[in-house]
Amino acid sequence: MRTRLTLLAVTWLAVRTATAAEPPPVRLIVKPLLCVVDKAAESCNVKFDIRWKSVLPGEYCLNDEAVPAPLRCWPRTLSGELQHQREVSEDFIFWLSPPAGTERAAEVKVEVLRVGSDDRRRERRTRHVWDVL
Amino acid sequence: MNIPRLQHLLAMAVLWSLAHSTYAQTEAPSTPATTDASLPAPAAVTRPTRPLPAERNWRFGIGVGYGMRTNPLVQSDDIPVLVDLDIAWFGKRWFFDNFDLGFQLADTRLFTANAVARVNSDRVFFGKTNIRYVNFTLAADGNKVPITRPAPPPGRPDNGFASADQPQELKVPDRDYAIEMGLEMLFGGEWGQATLRGFHDVSQTHEGFEISADYSYRWTLGRFSVSPSVGLAFKSDDLSNYYWGVNPKEAGLTLQPYEAKGGVDWEAGLRTSYYLTKSVRLAISADYERLHDSVASSPIVAEDHVLGYFAGAAWQF
Repeated sequence: MRTRLTLLAVTWLAVRTATAAEPPPVRLIVKPLLCVVDKAAESCNVKFDIRWKSVLPGEYCLNDEAVPAPLRCWPRTLSGELQHQREVSEDFIFWLSPPAGTERAAEVKVEVLRVGSDDRRRERRTRHVWDVL
Repeated sequence: MNIPRLQHLLAMAVLWSLAHSTYAQTEAPSTPATTDASLPAPAAVTRPTRPLPAERNWRFGIGVGYGMRTNPLVQSDDIPVLVDLDIAWFGKRWFFDNFDLGFQLADTRLFTANAVARVNSDRVFFGKTNIRYVNFTLAADGNKVPITRPAPPPGRPDNGFASADQPQELKVPDRDYAIEMGLEMLFGGEWGQATLRGFHDVSQTHEGFEISADYSYRWTLGRFSVSPSVGLAFKSDDLSNYYWGVNPKEAGLTLQPYEAKGGVDWEAGLRTSYYLTKSVRLAISADYERLHDSVASSPIVAEDHVLGYFAGAAWQF
């Protein structure tokens, strides 16, 4: 009984490790992923470096959440890249999908961090000894 | 801590009624996201217009790293800063900002005025003091001259010095926390942020007041943000003398009586951040505060300044 349990555990671990090590079918890499906006500015102008790689050749379109049509579609291939410049004022998602499909093969979220506030109270500095940040 | 006097409570009530009559709330502007992206075909350039999300009432952050704030008192330890909590809540008028309790009296295009209750932080230094034993001997001129030495370790007999007199205790006198109330004016714009503050003790602890002004400016470049600041603070005779003076009852062979006068402290600081993600940043900060001359000359003060620094990671939840 004990041997069977050990064997079962080892098998489960082996399967789990193999599954975890398996690369995703399509990988989307976007840089940068963060835009820091001071309160004096409404947005930041970012030049995105977008790359994708696929284990199997495929047709993919790159989409921007803020735009209804794809930014670019690639013919059947293993990888693609695009440099894309745009104003960013809120969080949004880039994703890859088949030309005719709606499912997302891979997606990446670009975040906007607003530093500062229109509420001056949130900008006040305390003068406590322990306040260092 | 003493109970506030009746006139202070009346003053608070007047302040409260004033707040109700003068308060003018301005809505936070909702900036639509209307930027366009320049796209290659086949994308059509249309952007949804969405208002910015409202700011949350709560702000909770934690900084973890290594830092220190020096303690200007004699016989004292510096104050280590390993964790810095940032806890704040902002309502429509009321707010709590790291143990400052405030009420917004007015919010105009030019300034924001708040009534604020706070704890005076000078007391913090008095929580990190030690006792030292001093032996006295007669000098040639007849005066008693201290022969100083560290206190013996706990449990060990004190048999190191040959002196006719008993060792005298050198101990920084105890001080209480003071609750202070006052007004602050916050200014802000593209030119930076400035604050004017006036606070008075309402707990009958030091019975003094403090008036301060500070200015800071933040540059943001990519993920990097740097914010230098300068400030001045006038501390009254009563406030300065309560915390930093030595009254006759506390005086002895080891401490001479000393009356600290009011004066102006100044400070300069620099806070830098490098944002790793929307909620995590690396932070390095430093500040220097110069105590005014009358405080710096006190027999319980060893250093005329307070230096603080911190480096670590900070999370904003």
